[in-house]
Amino acid sequence: MKIICLVKYVPNVEDIKYDYEENVLIRDNVKLILNPDDAAAVAYSLKAKEVNPDLSIEVLTMGPKSVRPFVEDLLRRNVNKATIISDPAFAGSDTYATSKILASYLKEKEYDCILTGSKSLDGDTAHVPAQLGELLSLNQMSNIISIDQDSFNEKSAIIEVESGDKTLTYRMSFPAILSFRKETGYELPYIKYENMSLDVSDKLNFISNEELQLDEDMIGLKGSLTRVANTYNKNFKEKNKIVVKNDDQGIDYVYSFLKKKGFV
Amino acid sequence: MKKSLVYIDPENVQNSIEILEVVAQIHQEEDFKSYGALINNSTSIQGLHQFDYIINIQNQNLKNYDPVAVTDVMEQLNKKYNFDSIIIPATHFGRMLAPRLAMRLHVGLVADVTKINHNGENLELVRPAFSGRIMAGIITEARKPIMLSVRQNVFAYDVQADKEAEVIDYQPENFKQGEIELLNIQENNISYDIRESEILVSGGGGTLKNFDQIKLLADKLNAEVSASRKIIDNGKADRNIQVGQSGKTVSPDLYIALGISGAIEHVAGLKNIDNIIAVNINKSAPICSLSDIVVEGDALEFVKKLSDKIDENEDQKN
Ligand SMILES: Cc1cc2nc3c(=O)[nH]c(=O)nc-3n(C[C@H](O)[C@H](O)[C@H](O)COP(=O)(O)OP(=O)(O)OC[C@H]3O[C@@H](n4cnc5c(N)ncnc54)[C@H](O)[C@@H]3O)c2cc1C
Ligand SMILES: Nc1ncnc2c1ncn2[C@@H]1O[C@H](COP(=O)(O)O)[C@@H](O)[C@H]1O
Repeated sequence: MKIICLVKYVPNVEDIKYDYEENVLIRDNVKLILNPDDAAAVAYSLKAKEVNPDLSIEVLTMGPKSVRPFVEDLLRRNVNKATIISDPAFAGSDTYATSKILASYLKEKEYDCILTGSKSLDGDTAHVPAQLGELLSLNQMSNIISIDQDSFNEKSAIIEVESGDKTLTYRMSFPAILSFRKETGYELPYIKYENMSLDVSDKLNFISNEELQLDEDMIGLKGSLTRVANTYNKNFKEKNKIVVKNDDQGIDYVYSFLKKKGFV
Repeated sequence: MKKSLVYIDPENVQNSIEILEVVAQIHQEEDFKSYGALINNSTSIQGLHQFDYIINIQNQNLKNYDPVAVTDVMEQLNKKYNFDSIIIPATHFGRMLAPRLAMRLHVGLVADVTKINHNGENLELVRPAFSGRIMAGIITEARKPIMLSVRQNVFAYDVQADKEAEVIDYQPENFKQGEIELLNIQENNISYDIRESEILVSGGGGTLKNFDQIKLLADKLNAEVSASRKIIDNGKADRNIQVGQSGKTVSPDLYIALGISGAIEHVAGLKNIDNIIAVNINKSAPICSLSDIVVEGDALEFVKKLSDKIDENEDQKN
């Protein structure tokens, strides 16, 4: 059985702090991390591989070449193969162009299913998995919070999905695209000590547009149908707060506030 | 005459009515008609008279949870009516449908829109990115239709009296079916929707020790309980009471933030709230600058004290 996991390396938005007084983002020391939803997808496939050693896992990412050391760390965790799609010509791609680039690689491949995250921390659109579904004529399901391990085979899987105020259970036939949420609780295993500096270069391949041969009108900024024109900081209305202590006087103050406003 | 199509999520009809505000803001003074596409849910039609037209689609073979099939049907509708804009609510299903349909129609898609700007000729659609830390103004290539998904509970529509939608029954032609089967639906056990609450008593990390206790205060205030992500991630409460970027946008009249630091992802879910009270051991936690009153101290102690105070005053009245 073969799984392809789509992963994206994103700036760790938790490192980005917001200065409410100045209304600016503080972006110093922001590190790149594996998008948390995607980490859950890779972790799930590694878990499935423990049960079924014949399972083969390929990780696919599109991004700058600098993600290489991160990808190598996945290979040291028992991922079979990794592909990095990287070309300056792809820079600035919106989801429409990104999906076309990823699809042009994937349509030549064989797999039983594609695992992805539901959404990324940075662009945060959740478009890519569904758009790949369209381009590859596959069904796709987002917000997966668990997969029934016993039901997971070449033909189909039973999955649980969070949808608003409900939890839905589906059977999906393969091939299909399954998109995880980090709340699945699947976590990446540590790299075994003896594999810490394992040479994995034979399992890693780089793909550029020389291989994919996409028309330049289809990729990068030119191929994109949306563009970020402005960014705004959120303006939070600061209030003239009154600070009180959690003592009788403070509680009295809160109570009379509630009373004045008609809440009690 | 401009035409705008709104996909009505059968699971969340009310939200689709809010989208009429988006339609109005996009087309402004232009003459336009709104169409709502409703699949296999004719019982909801009477709640939808604010649209100009309801396209009522009833077909046993069409599963309204199958994005492959629904994309085919939406494409057919677009062929038939040639819409200027297609707007999809950013519900679980809408988020899968919108990208697929945009790809099918070869148009760009702006996700999770929260605001609409007209900068001269340009339509700029504003959306949160970086998990809500910034707002990005997105411009799309001039193609038809304009496509966007809209974050829930952000836009409010002024209901017009005496409006009556014209219902158009539509039978889809062939559509492909995705190989997907719905086996079970489990309703989560929270009976209220925090988006509708007038008062929310909300707990964060500072209430982790005993989150359930905040209900004491909520009951005294006839309020409902909500929470920050920390509480949910620790398994102390159900995800559908989570406030914030990855949870819900709420607009109660009063929000009591108990031991919530106010990370931007959380604050992103607070909209038009006139009264905020924060209880925090750290009086410079970010939430405090957004609050009317900051109570410096332990959140659970506050719950106890304020509840007692309310009791006392009730007793005096009687
Ligand atoms: C501020 C901002 C706003 C934007 N708004 C829009 C917009 O409204 N519309 C639009 O079309 N584009 C938008 N973009 C561009 C978009 O974010 C990029 O095209 C991005 O590369 C892919 O989309 P995403 O990050 O939203 O991924 P998502 O679709 O949220 O990612 C979901 C999953 O798809 C897979 N995936 C995504 N990207 C890759 C990749 N490069 N390699 C491998 N797997 C991947 C991963 O499994 C990931 O978990 C925006 C970008 C920014 C910075
Ligand atoms: N016992 C407590 N009472 C009130 N606030 C607390 C307490 N313990 C921690 N906090 C605050 O709770 C917040 C944790 O918030 P969060 O991680 O967003 O849920 C921080 O701002 C702390 O200052």
